[in-house]
Amino acid sequence: MKKKVAVYKVSFFIVLLVALVTALYLGAYDFNHSVFEIVSTYFNTNTHTADSFVLIELRIPRILMAILTGAALAISGTCLQGLFKNPLASPDLIGITSGAVLFAALTIVFGSAVMHLLPAFFRYVLLSVMAFIGALLTMWFVYKMATSNGKTHILILLLSGVAITALTGAVTGFLTYISTEEELRNITFWSLGSLAGSNWWKVCLVFIVVLIGSIRLLSKGKILNALMLGEKEAAHLGFDIEKTKREIIIIVSLMVGCVVAFNGTIGFVGLVVPYILRFVFNSNYNILLPLSMLLGAVVMLIADTISRTIVVPAELPIGILTAIMGAPVFISILINYKRKLK
Amino acid sequence: MIKIHDLSFQVKDRFLLKDINLEINKGELIAIVGPNGAGKSTFLSCVANEIQYKTKHFSFKDKDVKSYKRSEIPLHRAKFSQHQSNEINLKNEEIVLMGRYPYFKTEADLSDLEIVEKWMAKTETSHLTDREYEQLSGGEKQRLHLARVFAQLENNIENKLLLLDEPLNNLDVAHQFKTLHLIKEFTNQNNSALVVLHDLNIASQFADRLILMNKSSIEMFDEPKKVLTQERISRVYQYPCIITPHPENQQPIILFG
Repeated sequence: MKKKVAVYKVSFFIVLLVALVTALYLGAYDFNHSVFEIVSTYFNTNTHTADSFVLIELRIPRILMAILTGAALAISGTCLQGLFKNPLASPDLIGITSGAVLFAALTIVFGSAVMHLLPAFFRYVLLSVMAFIGALLTMWFVYKMATSNGKTHILILLLSGVAITALTGAVTGFLTYISTEEELRNITFWSLGSLAGSNWWKVCLVFIVVLIGSIRLLSKGKILNALMLGEKEAAHLGFDIEKTKREIIIIVSLMVGCVVAFNGTIGFVGLVVPYILRFVFNSNYNILLPLSMLLGAVVMLIADTISRTIVVPAELPIGILTAIMGAPVFISILINYKRKLK
Repeated sequence: MIKIHDLSFQVKDRFLLKDINLEINKGELIAIVGPNGAGKSTFLSCVANEIQYKTKHFSFKDKDVKSYKRSEIPLHRAKFSQHQSNEINLKNEEIVLMGRYPYFKTEADLSDLEIVEKWMAKTETSHLTDREYEQLSGGEKQRLHLARVFAQLENNIENKLLLLDEPLNNLDVAHQFKTLHLIKEFTNQNNSALVVLHDLNIASQFADRLILMNKSSIEMFDEPKKVLTQERISRVYQYPCIITPHPENQQPIILFG
């Protein structure tokens, strides 16, 4: 078993590296020199060419953002599924993403006066903090709605998500009405999801959040497994259930909020990645958590590379691609569910 | 081992447990018996600290039970619950390995895996490794969780406590007795066990002492020979019975009807 996990880890890592190198070379702009040459001349001679601009200011941050976003969404989805004991729980389906979008949109429209005064990095911090608050509030709301006596009713959970998403849709719709043209461009980009706005500041911020968040979440494998026994049984194994729940809820909100603040709604990654891994490793969260981060990064990087190369020179919103992957998975989980009901 | 003074538990204004006083020694196998709704499982849940009870004094190994650290108590005390989860999407040996979770951080030691193997062999569940948990029968699931609970208490600490809520449900006769022998083996090593049992005859043969519960309190707590009298059992269970000694070990045998 250990060996199998290691094999998967190594092969995901290799695929990630290959995808990364390929992604560096693919795009609307073709480099005149090799990536290595561009980077070395940039740092040695400090000459800024079109090559170096595209590579260092656009492509590399975007690729890093794709990796971080994929890893964050996938591990968040996996943790939520463990917490709610259901493979359908994922940040977008239960409405956390929508909550984050709502708060980010409100910040952009009503905070534009303040936003312009802030330096770029703090603008991003403000935006992600607001998205985090939005995510946390929705998370708290759906959790309270769907849980009674320590049991989560998945139907209420998903329907709460639908309700929140509807509300968000209405408010963002209203905001697009009253927003200026620049604000409008910012808001529409969220509903579709895109990594195109990535820059080093955003990457740094997301990196810090994902690093801290995933270190905490990766240690939750045992307790998520134990929760399958039931909360009382897990407590008998020495776990602090309430504390863990709070921790997961806060970290997931933080990661999802931060990712959504910069990239908009990218659906289904948190659903698809653990779904695939469960075929091989069942629901062993000790294994699922680290592997979901790797596979999430791979899936997102490939999806983003496709989204920015398939209709060159335009771009396909990445949300379309992830939805194409995600919807069939969603349906097949439902079919499985229906079988169990019989 | 355990000292409880004046324990009660109530939901709204209804007492589910009242005036519970008892003392349990190390090395004892104690059976909790009584009719439905007498408070057997509730009492076990109190001893397991699963519910908020009221008490004047409750010590476990001469220390206030609440003074134990959360991470420390699983090494001293384990509980087998009456209802086991039906949906666990894990390999069966991974389920038993959960009993070892208090002992390792992320990766199980070789010794943990050996302990899992040992208890799967002892509960006769080793052959289930390549079957899916959800396809197992009720009795097989039950034995798997017994293996998990026993694996949890496999350590060098002395005087451990095992709480079992109807561990014999769903088990065939042979496995009922094998399970009781495992529990007896455990208590023979100076550990104690509190076991909720339905079968009075099994309780009579295996338990050192019996807690007979009736109407939310303890009717009597003593050796089986003293507790199991015709008058008392007929009254508590509200059904006529006769009592006769077991032909080999002379323990009381109860025949209802």
